[in-house]
Amino acid sequence: MQDEHGIQAEGLAREFKGGIRAVDGIDLQVAPGEIYGFLGPNGAGKSTTVHMLTTLLPPTAGTARVAGFDVVREGAQVRAAIGAALQEAALDPLLTGREHLRLQTALHGMGKAERKRRGEALLERVGLTQAADRKVQTYSGGMKRRLDLALALVHEPSILFLDEPTTGLDPQSRNALWTEVARLARDEGVTVFLTTQYLEEADVLADRVGIIDHGRLVAEGTPAALKAEIGRPSVEAIPADPSERDAVARTLERFGRPVPGSPKGVAVRLDGGEEALADVVRALDAEGLHLAHLQLHAPTLDDVFLAKTGRSLEGAGDELDTEAEPEPVPA
Amino acid sequence: MRSFVFVALAVAWRGVHNAFTNPAILLPSLLFPLFFFTAFAGGLSRVSDVPGFDYPAGYTAFQFVFVFLQSAAFGGVFTGFAIARDFESGFARRLLLAAPRRTGIVAGYALVALVRWAATASVVTVVALLAGMDVLGDPAELAALVVLGLLVNVAAVLWAAGVAMRFRTLQAGPLMQVPVFLTLFLAPVYVPLALLDGWIHAIATVNPATFLLEAGRGLVAGEPVEVAAAFAVAFAAVALFTVWALRGLKSAESAG
Repeated sequence: MQDEHGIQAEGLAREFKGGIRAVDGIDLQVAPGEIYGFLGPNGAGKSTTVHMLTTLLPPTAGTARVAGFDVVREGAQVRAAIGAALQEAALDPLLTGREHLRLQTALHGMGKAERKRRGEALLERVGLTQAADRKVQTYSGGMKRRLDLALALVHEPSILFLDEPTTGLDPQSRNALWTEVARLARDEGVTVFLTTQYLEEADVLADRVGIIDHGRLVAEGTPAALKAEIGRPSVEAIPADPSERDAVARTLERFGRPVPGSPKGVAVRLDGGEEALADVVRALDAEGLHLAHLQLHAPTLDDVFLAKTGRSLEGAGDELDTEAEPEPVPA
Repeated sequence: MRSFVFVALAVAWRGVHNAFTNPAILLPSLLFPLFFFTAFAGGLSRVSDVPGFDYPAGYTAFQFVFVFLQSAAFGGVFTGFAIARDFESGFARRLLLAAPRRTGIVAGYALVALVRWAATASVVTVVALLAGMDVLGDPAELAALVVLGLLVNVAAVLWAAGVAMRFRTLQAGPLMQVPVFLTLFLAPVYVPLALLDGWIHAIATVNPATFLLEAGRGLVAGEPVEVAAAFAVAFAAVALFTVWALRGLKSAESAG
């Protein structure tokens, strides 16, 4: 299933009516078999990029080749080589899951026997065999996403585009989808182009991450390399007495530059790295300041986004809320 | 060519499957013609007593031809609604993403319209025969009427598809329907052209739908008139609206 070309884009841009440049000259190289995470806030240009790469939307400037084919001049060949699950699962509420697979396989020109074999295999793989004969309007959000993934895979594509595939999913469904995507890349050599606004998703899944903001690629590399660029961790302290916030801030600023923290807290990037934490604790104690909470944060992809754009990544809060994790501290 | 065919058949399968498993989709295109036929052929049957009404097959057959062609046109328009709904819901993206030859999508929708109209036309014909319609035309003339209906149906669905793919919303429904409605009802619907007077006569004389109606009525009565003109109008409409629909597809592709 693995192709030899992957995805290449040069100066890819899309301008909409009114002069809005949703994508503003993106250069991309995604290697065959790689999972590429395309990370950015809502409205950054992620979906527009996917639409151009999947031939749904013609670029207004630049070029792109997918699986070795030009997305403008060789659209049919591109579509034959790719599978795509877009942000909103485009399903017909009047069809059953099995009927969707029948339609999708027929659209790809597969023979009757092949259609049946492939459909049954995919239903089983995404855990929808029991629900296969129910109309899609009775499916949950997670079931629709799984069906959408199965539909994207019917013709065994060499490149898979997933546009925010886990948005709105419960943690269990999200983990199941991550497992399947990782398996596709690892076992079948499928190249995966994944857009997400979830930091953890990009961190867990992607071999490399591209960060997009206002239609421009602002950073690119492996998650580890991007975080290493940021280097130093940050520390956040929440005073037990809110009136002591300024005093805590003055003390912490002796150890590094302030970075955004939670509303009640104070956060700084530690000049001395994590070894400075003990000094911070001693300094706060020496000032007689009492804390409700003290936390050391290793650099995250959100830190990378913050460093590159000057603001925190939207949606990070949603992600953590969904997972019932502690209040986000975008240090 | 092969990819064009399998895309068209896949799109057609889905549309036909949905229409025949969901009465809410099929019934409007079935009930409207039956309502028109009952109202016109039943309620206005005394029109045949008007001096100058000289249609040999009687008023039921006179109205049957209108309803037959009207159902063909509206069957195409109703399929246009389905296309607009697919774009509005995002389902059309699935088709655009999977189809190697996207023109096959338009052909698939046209096939859906033809199958739906075949069902409607069959019901309307059976009801008309049960209502005592006289058919004086021979099998070849009746076959010509059916072909004329098919062409009207295809022209209408291509017109509606062009609108649906340009606007990509169900709100464009009136834009698909009103021109077809006006064209049909500004033809000699209730009485022959010769009995019309004033502005309606002037419009009906140049209305292309008049050729279709006159030819259709002549075929059912076994006295063919204006058949060549009617087929020329029908083929011209199909050709014109094919270009219109394919440009609509381009518009939809450009919009993403």
